[in-house]
Amino acid sequence: MIKFQCMSRLWVLSVLCLFLTSCGEDSETIKITFIGPLTGGVSAGGLGGRNSADLAITLRNQAPDAKYKYELVSLDDECKPNVGVQVATKAAANKAIVAGVTHYCSAVAMGTVDVYHKFGLPVIVWGAVLPDITYGNDYLEIHRVNGTMINQNTVAAEFMIAQNFSSWSVIHDTTDYGKGHFKYFERALSESGGTILGTFGVNPDQQDFTAELTKIKALNPEVIYFGGLAPTGVRIRSQMNKLGMTQVFQGTSGIVSDAFIDGVGNLSEGVLAFREGAPTEKLPGGKMFMKAYEARNFNEPAEAYGAFAFAATNLIIDVIEQVGPDRKLIRDMLNETRGHESIVGPVTFDGNGQNTIAVITKYVIQDSEWVVWEDSEYASGKRFLK
Amino acid sequence: MATNRVVGRPFCGTRVITMPDFKTKLAILLGVALSVVVLYGFLYLEREWEIGALLVMVPLGVYFLRRTNALTYYQHAAREMPRFTWISFVLGAVVLIMLLRHDDFALLMLTTVLLYATVSLGLTIQFGFVGVVNFSAVAFFGIGAYSMAALNQHFVFLPDLLIIFFSGAISALLGALLILPILRTRGHYAALITIAFGILFRTFLEVNDVLGGPQGLKVPALEMFGWNFGNSFPSEMGGGSFYVAYAIVALVLVAIVYLITRLIESSWLGLNMDSVRLDEVASAAFGINGPRWKIAAFMLGNCFAGLAGAVYAAMYGFIAPANFNLSDSLLLVSIVLLGGIGNAVAVIPAAFLIVVLPEKFQVIQEYRLLLFGIVVILILRFRPSGLMPRGLRQYFAGRFG
Repeated sequence: MIKFQCMSRLWVLSVLCLFLTSCGEDSETIKITFIGPLTGGVSAGGLGGRNSADLAITLRNQAPDAKYKYELVSLDDECKPNVGVQVATKAAANKAIVAGVTHYCSAVAMGTVDVYHKFGLPVIVWGAVLPDITYGNDYLEIHRVNGTMINQNTVAAEFMIAQNFSSWSVIHDTTDYGKGHFKYFERALSESGGTILGTFGVNPDQQDFTAELTKIKALNPEVIYFGGLAPTGVRIRSQMNKLGMTQVFQGTSGIVSDAFIDGVGNLSEGVLAFREGAPTEKLPGGKMFMKAYEARNFNEPAEAYGAFAFAATNLIIDVIEQVGPDRKLIRDMLNETRGHESIVGPVTFDGNGQNTIAVITKYVIQDSEWVVWEDSEYASGKRFLK
Repeated sequence: MATNRVVGRPFCGTRVITMPDFKTKLAILLGVALSVVVLYGFLYLEREWEIGALLVMVPLGVYFLRRTNALTYYQHAAREMPRFTWISFVLGAVVLIMLLRHDDFALLMLTTVLLYATVSLGLTIQFGFVGVVNFSAVAFFGIGAYSMAALNQHFVFLPDLLIIFFSGAISALLGALLILPILRTRGHYAALITIAFGILFRTFLEVNDVLGGPQGLKVPALEMFGWNFGNSFPSEMGGGSFYVAYAIVALVLVAIVYLITRLIESSWLGLNMDSVRLDEVASAAFGINGPRWKIAAFMLGNCFAGLAGAVYAAMYGFIAPANFNLSDSLLLVSIVLLGGIGNAVAVIPAAFLIVVLPEKFQVIQEYRLLLFGIVVILILRFRPSGLMPRGLRQYFAGRFG
């Protein structure tokens, strides 16, 4: 009995100790949060981003002329909106955290922008592409370094007009993705002077497109624009061939995958598509970034958006170096970013905090491979788009 | 009134003693105080060694309390005076909310726990009492959430309190459709039907633009009794996060739902439900209408889920189909299993573990769900019937009311 009494007293005592020691927070370093999916299906992208943000912090801490010491607080949003709101609240409610590099998944970012606004935490989105994240609100706290489907379609329209195409027919799937692409492509095209002859919304699961394609054949456009993902794109491209249609097939980021090429086989030659971001080695500072990344021996590759997380973190640190660790000052300074040099090219935020000169890469399929347009034989004039 | 009972007393072994009222009450209050302290620590602590220490301390503490019979004493006390226990715990939770009033994140987690516990109480009635499987709890939670959003958008004149009730009712009604095929199937097949319903619900939301489609939709903050829940408390009221208001609403909700669950359990309703679960044929032979109890339990449980979903949507301010996955339904089921099937009290500590623990493991980043899985497996290894298995039915002592 006595033994237990003693031990339970000991226990109470140690619990008390635990509470006493947990009081008092040290804060000589400046904390920046990184939020992305570290577990779950898309964790590869999230871990690459986390490592890249971490790299930016480490490099700056090693720099002799840095005014402050920085610390990265990485949080996992699991690519789920509800978890995202939780961790965003955690970061935003923590006064020690002055800014954030946040979100790879669009749905999560859509849910959390209100949290950042409410708590006044300035953030830079490093991966999520939905336009509404920056354009769906007028929050001063939200910025984004990577491009959106708006940028993608602006580049696509301007590029295609430059290649002397003038008439399009559009097939898009009726998801948010397909409809969004159609909307922004139509807008960009009307500014650049192209015409859309006919538009067809289709279900992503639809198998037979003969009806739509027959109508398009009658309209006889020069290009068929497809807004949707690879499986639907494969079916449309294959069925075009059955109807003897030889128009140029122009897709969106959703078809830039090997699955598309495997699906359509030889018909894939000359298919065009556009995607936000670029292969890391093609970015202005990509080579230097990859070298530094490899030197750190991370377990995971940087992935496509790692460079953007790196650039966003660096931008935040640069701003903190200028104005000090104050959320409001950082927010206002970030909004004034114009032509800031970064490894993903110069960053300029518009009124909504969106980077207006975001990198978009043009791709074309050449010999069953996605090739960056500038490196392709189409650009050098050896081959021609029909 | 003093009562004679065979109980264990701290440091004294088991014997027949007299448990006077004030001692019973004191024991209950001590238990509440200890819970508040532990939960406060659990929600407040951040650093890895603190969490690790707490994870070691709590099982050790429970072990000592058990060995010294304090736990048995407490259990008897709580059984003796369930109403007093209930009121003390609600007050204890209010104290906890007040302690955390400036800590937005801890309050968010606490409120989430309370709402998940509400859904789990619904599952307790379904699984634990009547034995109807439901692997689509999160779908009903989601129906509540989307009802909140839709009614708020299209029927602006409706007061939010009423909308919360409507959301519960809509969940219950849609659940009434699902119960029809469930009544005609058994075992795994019934489980499959509910899983299919959960997937159907998510797909429906994704293709349906009226409800925001795959990108989800925003939900305005609650407004009740002239108070906008989006506002923080002004400093003349002592200050505090806007989450305090949500935490109080969730607390009221879970307290009422808990009361209903316990009243059902301890009455003839619960007796009928238990008999349907244990042997449907035998209870039919005694004139108990099995399907009727199944329908009642299923609808009531889904109504709880809907109510919780409505508050959840308003608090998070944003809902998307990706919130309502099969994995989240399984999370809710695991709360019930981890607590101890059919024990209404158990869902609260279990909800704390399931909701807060993965969050606390953020410090170990990508390995956190791994560690979380290991902890759950360890708990089930050493407590196979849950943290707090359901006790034997008490026919006489300790009624509410």
